[in-house]
Amino acid sequence: MDSEKIISEGLLEQYLLGELEEQQISLVEAALKKDAGLRATYAEMEADFERIAFENAIEPPDAVKKSLKFYLEEIDSRKDKAVKDLKSRDRGFQNGRLLVAASLAAIFALSSFWIYNRWQNAEQLLQLQEEQITDLQDRLVKIEERIEVSDERYRKINNLNVTPLVLVGNAISPESKAVAYINHRTKEVVVNGQGLSPLSSGEAYQMWADVEGEMINMGLVSVNEEFIDMSYIEGAESLNITIEPSGGSEHPTVERLISSVSL
Amino acid sequence: MAVDPQDIGLIDRLRNGDKSALYLLYDKYSSALYGVILRICRDEDQAKDLLQETFVKIWQKISTYDQSKGRFYTWAYRIAKHTTLNALRKSKPLIQTEDLSVYSNIASEEESPDYAVLNGLLKKLEPHHQRAIQLVYFQGYTHREAHELMKVPLGTFKSYIRQAIKQIREKYGQNALLFLTIIEALGNGQ
Repeated sequence: MDSEKIISEGLLEQYLLGELEEQQISLVEAALKKDAGLRATYAEMEADFERIAFENAIEPPDAVKKSLKFYLEEIDSRKDKAVKDLKSRDRGFQNGRLLVAASLAAIFALSSFWIYNRWQNAEQLLQLQEEQITDLQDRLVKIEERIEVSDERYRKINNLNVTPLVLVGNAISPESKAVAYINHRTKEVVVNGQGLSPLSSGEAYQMWADVEGEMINMGLVSVNEEFIDMSYIEGAESLNITIEPSGGSEHPTVERLISSVSL
Repeated sequence: MAVDPQDIGLIDRLRNGDKSALYLLYDKYSSALYGVILRICRDEDQAKDLLQETFVKIWQKISTYDQSKGRFYTWAYRIAKHTTLNALRKSKPLIQTEDLSVYSNIASEEESPDYAVLNGLLKKLEPHHQRAIQLVYFQGYTHREAHELMKVPLGTFKSYIRQAIKQIREKYGQNALLFLTIIEALGNGQ
């Protein structure tokens, strides 16, 4: 838009009065920038309008200036307060964040410690249970062995082919009593020596088989044992128990014969 | 644009947050702006509030003032005028015909309180020129509203304004010439 058109359409006055819209303002300002003559005209117009304004000025009451000062001071103090509040709130926010972070870290540490403890306890419990299971297995094995032994012993004595023989003590050991179980079919001899009288140290009971007048060693008879496997002697006519030195003898001490039973 | 060198210093201080510069600008321009505000709103209590609001806006928006585009007073005048018109839009029942239009009928502007009387050079203008300037400059009407108030075509109204401005320029120019002549005569007399 050229300067003449701006002047003829009164856009310069309207620009001064603030009546124009953005697009027209841009056009006028662009023309003012380019045209020194238009710029001078506008400067005169501005000066004239300003002069008219001063010629028609009305003095405002002093209270307005005081109120303006008070208002601006108030805004400043509010800004300062707001900045302080903001800083304080920011500090509070930072502290809050740190507190939350610390709390989370503490919760994490405690929960980790708790889980570790639980894990350790579980490990210990598992180990204990494993040990108990092993112990039970051992005990079970032993029980099975005992059962097996008991079965075997039971089989040895509770058999139609077994002949139980009671060996009662004579005058040398009147309290003594022993039971011998003989199976001629399986050629086994089992003795229960628990009924024999206790001996002094260095002595032991020994059983002998009499075969055609010759005493043949069948083995030592322990006082504490219930079932003692003895040697089966073919053709034995009687069974005899003597007191011998500890460890037994090759030949029986007939003077210390305490019991005898014929087969 | 010719900006008062004293204003430039004050405006620079104002941009740096110096409130005392604002108060000095207030001392210089408040009466001129109050004259405009009071003539537009026609209510002294409201005009006082609007004058304060105008200077608060000046304080807040000084960074947007571009002195290469015009005088400080012109910029401040626009702020005062728009602040006042916006306040009237909110406070009075209006029939708005254009963005700056605030008055519902002619009757309201026919009243002439004391402060509405114009002074200075404007009084020497022909009545229709005086009236045209009064409507657009001191009462906040747009050209489109004002020509209807004066019951003349828009083109004619624009001519009134142009002629008024020309006469003002001439009369101020004559006064300035007269002033310079007196100064010169006084100088020669010494």
